[in-house]
Amino acid sequence: MTPLLELRRLTVRYGALTALRGLDLQVREGELVTLLGANGAGKSTTLRAISRLVPTAAGQVLWRGADLAGVRTHRTVRLGIGHCPEGRRVLARQTVATNLELGAWLRRDRAGIAADLERCYGLFPRLAERRRQLAGNLSGGEQQMLAIARALMGRPSLLLLDEPSLGLAPKLVAEVMAALAALHAGGLSMLLVEQNATAALEIADRGVVLESGSISLEGSAADLLADAGLRASYLGSG
Amino acid sequence: MDLLQILVNGLSVGAVYGLFALGYTLVFSVLGVINFAHGAVFTLGAYFTYLLIGGAVGANGLLAGFQLPFALPFWGALPLAGLGAALVALLVERVAFRPLRRRRADPLLALITSLGAGVILVNLIQLLVGAESYAIPTGALGGLPASFPLLGARVRTVQALLLGIAVLLLALLTLWLEGSRNGKGLQAVAEDPETAQLLGIDSTAMVRLAFGLSGFLAGVAGGLVGLSVSIAGPYFGIGYGLKGLAVLVLGGLGSVPGAVLGGLIVGLAEAFVPADWSGYKDAVSYGFLFLVLLLRPRGLLGRPLPTKV
Repeated sequence: MTPLLELRRLTVRYGALTALRGLDLQVREGELVTLLGANGAGKSTTLRAISRLVPTAAGQVLWRGADLAGVRTHRTVRLGIGHCPEGRRVLARQTVATNLELGAWLRRDRAGIAADLERCYGLFPRLAERRRQLAGNLSGGEQQMLAIARALMGRPSLLLLDEPSLGLAPKLVAEVMAALAALHAGGLSMLLVEQNATAALEIADRGVVLESGSISLEGSAADLLADAGLRASYLGSG
Repeated sequence: MDLLQILVNGLSVGAVYGLFALGYTLVFSVLGVINFAHGAVFTLGAYFTYLLIGGAVGANGLLAGFQLPFALPFWGALPLAGLGAALVALLVERVAFRPLRRRRADPLLALITSLGAGVILVNLIQLLVGAESYAIPTGALGGLPASFPLLGARVRTVQALLLGIAVLLLALLTLWLEGSRNGKGLQAVAEDPETAQLLGIDSTAMVRLAFGLSGFLAGVAGGLVGLSVSIAGPYFGIGYGLKGLAVLVLGGLGSVPGAVLGGLIVGLAEAFVPADWSGYKDAVSYGFLFLVLLLRPRGLLGRPLPTKV
């Protein structure tokens, strides 16, 4: 069966710097794949290349088997790729409700949007309490929840998540990961970039470790979690 | 001249400054640069209005003696002139802004390309219709009296119109920005263009929308000024362009209410300059700007400036 997303020999350069060299990666329908690695390994670049925020120097991004070359960023959203960017990037000057409303920008099904809004508020009850507040006044954890909920409002088939645990207290990390696990259990496919490898592998099906723009290790999440060598070299002792 | 008359004068001129500055603001908020062709678009709006009410071109341009085969009342001519100006603004976006964006060039380069586009437009006007001044006769207003009494003073109809139309447009724009789908999309692009794209918002379309609206506002402002003062020649938009910049900075870059407030303040300040000293009007508005920048560098309603090393 054609994978939902397939990267073939994907290469991305920023000027003289090569951020990704010939990356091969697949995400199948319903799968949660986590992309691990140190800072600068090319994790965010991979997500940005999928969303066409950075041009690809070589290789292909295939979505349900079709090449995304020449597709502009806002079009990838219509195709079903949701991207929850690094640093949350909530619209600070807008309310929580408007941020979520903008997440459903491409949709016209009012009833469906209203239902999804309630679903998001159910998933993250704190957002419901703060729906009239400006997103800029939320805490870091709340902003992360808003960013995830906003991406969900677009009804993606695949959700790209860029370091959702970054800068969050351990309790909030657990809360966010639990929400992602629940979404995965509901059938949503995800590509999760994380520095917190243990937390990510605990909810993922598969893990891929990037080093200097190419894959250094990949396997089932359970195997990677059990791999003592991996722990030492990439995941830290935790 | 009594106080009420001065107030109406100041507010009506100020409202036009506000309209003008709003055009700058719309483009600035989505692209982070000033569109220096804005003054030329304003000028074109005035000429379009003049032609649409059936005005004839003078003897000096390539179009000498040209006259449209119909004459619209001012009410019909003004929105059409606004639309014409909007089309010109879209053209400016197409030739002076988009090629740079596509090549991911430094946004500041658009200052030069837009200035160039403005110079070309102004020179085209001169080439086509000559450098003489044109007046839009108040007869185009139909049967309206030249002035009417208000609270014991006499107010020029033209000025009341200026104020009324400007306030109406400002209110509509604010409602649209806050309440409509595209208004919210435009604000999203203004705040964070990349994130807006990740939500599925076509930022190029929003940029075009900002230019179109900005051109419309400039065109209408041009027509109104042409009616109240006259069109002093192809270069008459330059002074307004600079004044609009002062208003923009005074109110706070990128702030919609700031542009309006800045416009009204500058207009009022100028109106209080006695007629014998009218040569110092500009000094008053730029003095205001200087003072505000000294005391509050972000402008009256601007957001805090980012800290820079």
